[in-house]
Amino acid sequence: MKKKLLNQPTFLLGTIITSIMLLMTFIGFFYTPYDPTQMDNSNKLAGCSLEHIMGCDNFGRDIFSRVLQGMGNTFLIAVATVTIGVVCGILLGAFTGYFGGWIDEVIMRIIDVIFAFPSILLALVFVSIFGTGKYNVVFALGIAFIPSFARIVRSEFIKYKDMDYVKSARLAGVSDLRIMFVHILPNTMTVLLSSIMIGFNNAVLSEAGMSYLGIGVQPPDASLGSMLSEAQSYLFSAPNYAIFPGVMIILLVLGFSLMADGLKSR
Amino acid sequence: MKYVGKKLGAMLVTLLLISFLVFLAFDIIPGDAAMAQLGTDVTPERLEALREEMGLNKPLIERYVIWLVAFLQGDFGVSYKYNMPVAEMISSKLPITVIMALISFAIMVIVSLPLGIYTAKHNGKRIDRCITVMNQVMMAVPHFFLGIVITYVFGLVLKLFVPGDYVSYEKDFGAFLSYIIFPCVAIAIPKIAMSVKLLKSSCVEEARKDYVRTAYSKGNNTSKVLYRHVLRNAMIPVVTLWGMTLADMLVGSIVIEQVFNVPGIGRILLTSISYRDYPVVQAIIVLIATVVIVTNFCVDMIYQLIDPRISVQES
Repeated sequence: MKKKLLNQPTFLLGTIITSIMLLMTFIGFFYTPYDPTQMDNSNKLAGCSLEHIMGCDNFGRDIFSRVLQGMGNTFLIAVATVTIGVVCGILLGAFTGYFGGWIDEVIMRIIDVIFAFPSILLALVFVSIFGTGKYNVVFALGIAFIPSFARIVRSEFIKYKDMDYVKSARLAGVSDLRIMFVHILPNTMTVLLSSIMIGFNNAVLSEAGMSYLGIGVQPPDASLGSMLSEAQSYLFSAPNYAIFPGVMIILLVLGFSLMADGLKSR
Repeated sequence: MKYVGKKLGAMLVTLLLISFLVFLAFDIIPGDAAMAQLGTDVTPERLEALREEMGLNKPLIERYVIWLVAFLQGDFGVSYKYNMPVAEMISSKLPITVIMALISFAIMVIVSLPLGIYTAKHNGKRIDRCITVMNQVMMAVPHFFLGIVITYVFGLVLKLFVPGDYVSYEKDFGAFLSYIIFPCVAIAIPKIAMSVKLLKSSCVEEARKDYVRTAYSKGNNTSKVLYRHVLRNAMIPVVTLWGMTLADMLVGSIVIEQVFNVPGIGRILLTSISYRDYPVVQAIIVLIATVVIVTNFCVDMIYQLIDPRISVQES
């Protein structure tokens, strides 16, 4: 099965892009060529060169180092967000799908309400109440992502709960919890996996948008979104400042969406 | 009819719930209208007196009902920062955001419909593969980065517009349109990619079905089968996507307005958040959420017009 997946050109390309991006992100956690916050007056808005392969920003900070740090931030926020969404989504979806009844009805109504609320708007509500910062953004986006996962898991559980293997497990005296998480959950993984990848992309895009608006990662910490908003003032004199962070976002998202596409079309 | 009633009921319940949750959320923040009016260094007695006068000591539910009734009558409260009615603040800005969303929507429909049909017709050929690759890339681009690229290419290099030089629609509608078209394109492009992809895959899937073979065997030619039979069914998922995008575009313009320096609803929302001007934030959020939910309801209705099977299935 794995061999077939890698034979598919879209999945292969997605895997290659994603691996390179993840490798860069992980290296960025431990090593950056320069200190991402160190300013250098003699290199303000310097172009691309051998010392600074992506050039320098308006404070003379090395853009490549900041891009690496920004990718790390974006990656951590996206992973945390998706984790909140997936864990809560699986729990809610599993219980409502498996047991049904009025609890299902009530929880699904609430989920519909959250689903109807645009995620950026929800994040803005959170930020205006609790203040700016990356943890609030993670929390807000995490909640905004619960409904879509809960819906997917719920519909899968409804599909599986009356199947013969579940019935025979129940007859054999297996507890409900074990049936839900050991017997049924692994079967939902293929569907869940591609939606996790799409969710990750949405998280990256939303985080970038929020940091662009100045309500996500706070300076001097770097984020791909906030770098773009700083770069906009120097667009004419230093287009490279905007291009590199933007291209990194695109590649990060593109890799996962190609992989998700490959998984789905299998 | 029963279906419409049920959906309408569900929509009203959702609206009530959302407005209550937003009200509750802004209610638990420390500090209220009385404190905002008097400032922090004031005797507790005076504060208490003003609270009593403004009705802030009433129970939560009662205050919610009072707020809701006022809201429905178009009274959105008074801004802490500018000390003027919120309705007055946003009434001149709302058209900007709405016009932007509508133009982006129009661009999306006009471009993606022919492009989607074209790629479906040429499924598997080289041109289809080129468009598919373009689509994948465009879907990965955040729209504000697209906005920055458009500013650079059309504004700074080709000099088709002056970045940041927004013209009010009240002053000169033509100039307003020729400026606003660039942010609209930035909003529309990722959505075009999405709907072309969906329209194509939906057309290709429909074309495999039995009724299409029957239509061919009756002697219809390709374009007749495509436009009369396939497209009608293939449009159903696309219409759903469009409905969701209309709401998305409204919210997405909050970000794009910052890129192009357009003083719309998004601008007020963000400055109000940074000034902690809660009545304004609350009003705008409830308004946008209402528009989103009503749009979703309308999509459900249109959906049913295209495909009468849906209401039969659900009732």
